Amino acid sequence: MATLQVSNLTKNFGSTLVLRQINLQVSDGEFIVLLGPSGCGKSTLLNIIAGLESVDEGEILIDDYMVNRVEPKDRNIAMVFQSYALYPAMTVRENIIFGLKQRKISKEQTEKSLNHFSKMLQVDQLLERKPAQLSGGQRQRVAMGRALVREPHIFLFDEPLSNLDAKLRVEMRREIKKLHERLGTTMIYVTHDQVEALSLATRVAVMNEGIIQQIGTPQEIYDKPNSVFVADFVGSPAINLVPGTMAKTGGTLSFSPDQQSEDFHIPLSTYDFEKEPEEGKGIIFGFRPEQISLPGSASKSQIELELKPTLIELTGYEQNVTFDFHGNEVVGRLPRNAEAKLGKSMSLALELSGSSIFDQESTRRL
Amino acid sequence: MPPVDLQIESLERSASRKRTFYRWLLFLVLGLFALYYLAPLYVMIVTSLKSMEEIRQGNLMTLPGEFLLDAWKIAWSGRGYTAGDVFLRPFFWNSTKMVIPAVVISTFLGALNGYVLTKWRFRGDNLIFLLFLFGCFIPYQAILLPMARTLGILGISNSITGLVVVHSIYGLSFTTLFFRNYYVSIPDEMIKAARIDGAGFFKIFFKVLLPVSAPIIVVTVIWQFTNIWNDFLFGSSFSFGEAAPIQVALNNMVLTSTSVKQYNVDMAAAFIAGFPTLVVYILAGKYFIRGLTAGSVKG
Repeated sequence: MATLQVSNLTKNFGSTLVLRQINLQVSDGEFIVLLGPSGCGKSTLLNIIAGLESVDEGEILIDDYMVNRVEPKDRNIAMVFQSYALYPAMTVRENIIFGLKQRKISKEQTEKSLNHFSKMLQVDQLLERKPAQLSGGQRQRVAMGRALVREPHIFLFDEPLSNLDAKLRVEMRREIKKLHERLGTTMIYVTHDQVEALSLATRVAVMNEGIIQQIGTPQEIYDKPNSVFVADFVGSPAINLVPGTMAKTGGTLSFSPDQQSEDFHIPLSTYDFEKEPEEGKGIIFGFRPEQISLPGSASKSQIELELKPTLIELTGYEQNVTFDFHGNEVVGRLPRNAEAKLGKSMSLALELSGSSIFDQESTRRL
Repeated sequence: MPPVDLQIESLERSASRKRTFYRWLLFLVLGLFALYYLAPLYVMIVTSLKSMEEIRQGNLMTLPGEFLLDAWKIAWSGRGYTAGDVFLRPFFWNSTKMVIPAVVISTFLGALNGYVLTKWRFRGDNLIFLLFLFGCFIPYQAILLPMARTLGILGISNSITGLVVVHSIYGLSFTTLFFRNYYVSIPDEMIKAARIDGAGFFKIFFKVLLPVSAPIIVVTVIWQFTNIWNDFLFGSSFSFGEAAPIQVALNNMVLTSTSVKQYNVDMAAAFIAGFPTLVVYILAGKYFIRGLTAGSVKG
């Protein structure tokens, strides 16, 4: 059982405000990912939860106890770092049991835990080696072993996969996910990689400039981003954002992009507005690359388009095609057998469900 | 035009000739410099092995006709020089008793300072580091009087203990600088991990940080050992008579003899006084270079 509650947390470094009014509730067994660009305060938040940084204002509660002034070692947490942070002078065995030794755990118990977790992480053959003799992936496993062996209530991960190469990263990501499903321990994970965030988290907290912009399940974050920042940060290739104005044609709301050459409207009658904007208001229309497809299965929520490709990138299974869309660049994700040719108009379908509309001024979702 | 493969062959040949030529030129220049630097040492050693007779008539560079160790014996512990004789043996031990504690203390405190200044940052730590840095630029002469007064108040003037204190304090700026710059390159995450693992301030220092500090410890020890062993000014200012370190004794031996100069004894004595630093360099020189260039500790 481990819950975490962060309330009204504020942190300054000198005169720079790093975190402002952070509120976060984590219930037992959750996998929370703090996602954001570098410098958004996500690592600072993690360090504060760990007790490595002090709190300026607000409270941190672990299992309903206020831990603002509790030492890191007494918070029942373990942390895995980006640089692994293994002790270079110690063997793998000594690295893993260092924490247990400090806690004066009995020899038998130590040996039992060491065996159990080193087998689980497949480092049992490496126990007598020094960290310098291990590969990046093995070091990461040892670092995780060092965290696991203490059987903490909360795991903290600070960009643990960023130093690994692309292939190994995917592999370790899967292992972390399996580990969470197996142990069911509360985990808090910091990353700037949105793929990691979406694939690992039970809930994602997207951060920017010291504020949690949006918190929700990966689905919610992807489908209903609450601001232009979140929409743009999550998803690859990035969401297409087209500025324009609200218009009303024949009683129904529609979107007409800026710099349009002919009279072009996208009907918004099916869009579920949180708050319906006035006519003539500046808005941003956002749609994901997979909403563009080849015409065919005509459905009610689709409209037809004629667009000219300006760039074609093959990704293997698919191709990402950049089109000129009324003076804006938009990307569509098309099957690789779609015959896209540079400069040659092709007819396409745009699926409207799944679109997002933002206010140009506040950049919030409408 | 000859065929292409012949052309390439001749190009390759001339390139390799050029390479060989420059290689040998390099060796030649390096060899000449090595000889130039070793010449004084050679003169010292051969002179110390000659009799006075031979020195008077002979040439500086010739090998001794007969290898005599008499001069070494006199310099170390001999008899029959002139009145007010100085022999190096007791002063050699004085220096040893001074240099070992002073090196250990200043290195240890420097490591501790570096650890605090990089891993336990506090308000004003940069100012403190700046002051340490400033300490490196204070000339020896500037602290002579205040230090003499301080040693007097502490009641340890004219003693080995006093010299240990002087050298430890004076060396602290340098050792702190060395360790601070080395520890900056050691990732903070290692310290954070140890804190979460439950290790305290000293445990982290001894178990996590010191074991990876070997290169910088070697650099610091060599630096401190050389400086303290070779120091003359502090030794001659704060000690005299029996409490003097070897450099002061050497000076007394060479400069204050009233009769004829015994060059062979002087040379042997100078060699004895310089010998320990030579040994330290030969044994640890490899690590010295490595430690000076060692940047980050990976893994």
